[in-house]
Amino acid sequence: MNPQRYRLRVNGDVRTVETHGMARLLDVLRFDLRLTGTKEGCGEGECGACSVLMNGDLVNSCLVPVAQAEGTTIETVEGLGNDERLHAVQRAFLECGGAQCGMCTPGMLVATAHLLKKNPQPDLEAIREGLNGNLCRCTGYTRIFEAVERAVSLAGEERA
Amino acid sequence: MRSHPAEYEIVSPGTLPGVLRLLDEQPGQWLPVAGATEVMVMFSAGKLGARRLVNLSNLPELQSIRDNAKTLTLGGGCTFSQIRNCSAVHKHFPLLAQAASWTGSIANQNRATLAGNLANASPAADSPPALLAYDAELELVSARETRRMPYREFHLGYKKTALRPGELILSVTLKKHYDGYFLYGRKTGARNAQAISKVCVAGIGRLHDGRAMNVRIGIGAVASAPLRLFGVEQAVEGKRIDDQVIAAARRALDAEIAPIDDIRSIAEYRRWVAGNLVVEFLRTLAASGDTFNPVLARWNALPPTEAAEEILPCCGSTRWARELAALQPLSTPEEVLQAADRVWSDIGPEDWDEAFRSHPRIGDRRPAAHATAQSATWSQQEQSAAATQDAHTLAELAAANAEYEHRFGRIFLVCATGKTAAKMLEILRTRLSNDEATELRETAEQERQITQLRLRKWLGL
Repeated sequence: MNPQRYRLRVNGDVRTVETHGMARLLDVLRFDLRLTGTKEGCGEGECGACSVLMNGDLVNSCLVPVAQAEGTTIETVEGLGNDERLHAVQRAFLECGGAQCGMCTPGMLVATAHLLKKNPQPDLEAIREGLNGNLCRCTGYTRIFEAVERAVSLAGEERA
Repeated sequence: MRSHPAEYEIVSPGTLPGVLRLLDEQPGQWLPVAGATEVMVMFSAGKLGARRLVNLSNLPELQSIRDNAKTLTLGGGCTFSQIRNCSAVHKHFPLLAQAASWTGSIANQNRATLAGNLANASPAADSPPALLAYDAELELVSARETRRMPYREFHLGYKKTALRPGELILSVTLKKHYDGYFLYGRKTGARNAQAISKVCVAGIGRLHDGRAMNVRIGIGAVASAPLRLFGVEQAVEGKRIDDQVIAAARRALDAEIAPIDDIRSIAEYRRWVAGNLVVEFLRTLAASGDTFNPVLARWNALPPTEAAEEILPCCGSTRWARELAALQPLSTPEEVLQAADRVWSDIGPEDWDEAFRSHPRIGDRRPAAHATAQSATWSQQEQSAAATQDAHTLAELAAANAEYEHRFGRIFLVCATGKTAAKMLEILRTRLSNDEATELRETAEQERQITQLRLRKWLGL
């Protein structure tokens, strides 16, 4: 089949890619748009390393054919913050040592940002549930959960 | 070996008639794809046989939820997130809400659809047992006709369903007539989150004069398709659940299921666990009593003033207690919890304040002047995680409490259950920066959470 043009709004900018409809959103982000912050872990929707927001909902970009992302708004880890101004979630992960090898980190950050948007004051149980689709093989999760709790406070301070 | 996207075609007609026409004109040529959580896994593994796919994810016709007086109809394209966030599902079909929360991770729940789960027909899928227990009905649609079918007739064998070529699951309808039923849902898997079930069970039933009535059980991962346990149901219907009936139910179950060895479990384990879960359901049903919540049943029979007095310690506002008591009888614990929230948000700041004053200071072991004895006991339990001898933390907490009281004119209130003193101190400091209106709303929200926890304790949930 011939490639087609697909339009997506990525981190605020309208982007057009020419590719096959079954190309994974993950690959479109990484290879067509050179947004390599989003990682590939398992490639089958189990690990959450490829988490992005699609129309505000958390999704695994490895399980989204780009044809289904046509016309949607995508937010990746690159859209959370920048070097001058990190997102509260990014600052919290830095402060608390919520990253080790870093492979799961972009997905953790996006999933945390999504969780806090839906529930600004999550308790530990809600945090565990919000991140239960994001696997980390280094940290044992304790520091990640601490980072999320810290992000809750930082986000609160920012709002105030 | 990963598939190459160039070998596949995916089209998006964008309307239901457009999709149905395509399926009708080229029968067997197109694989419908909705949330893609299964299709993309197969695709990436190089195991997706179909080369042409038709996109259902952008069809509004499939995504509606119709909440009628007697039925709830969920569009086949509803995602599990939509289902678990739908208040009517929570109220009338909690086993389905539970199953939706079991289905994969949040990211998968945001994409995977109810119809996809059924049409994919995995024997281990999470939503079928609940839909079987609730005896759901499907509406199937093709370019030629629309037909209805009881869901219990849908699965014909391993990955084999009653769907005809060119047909889609348009919607799933559930009858709202399970108020007062005893409900049981349990899943066993390798981990709590996003595990594919080794065995999953949903059961409903009632007791009448100690006899089991209207028992229906759905079970997954123990046969080539999700199963209604008709044999077990027949073995217990109208009977007192004693050891003899349990034994008969076990025999019926053994004859009905045909578990296999696979990557997740072995047949023998599945057979044991299926038996244990079904027996657990029957025994808890038997123990549930004719009135399923004894505390609620007794409370419903109290005169309004006494009923209000009994629930007052859960909240602390006299008006809240009076207005909730005016809603007697409340038929289920769930209804009590929802009504409590409604009344709380209706009564407003003056009555909220009375509730706030019924709590002790965080870190203070003395009860509040306005507290009932029960309220004081609960306060102690709630603050138990914060019990600390650390004089430094206690002093900081006392100072911050004083600052808070000076600023807002009332004590600092937080839902303390499970929180350490240090955590509460941190929250207190954050909240000191709120403006008054925000802080009032926040305090009311904390009181609401405390009330919910206390109501649950009271009801024995």
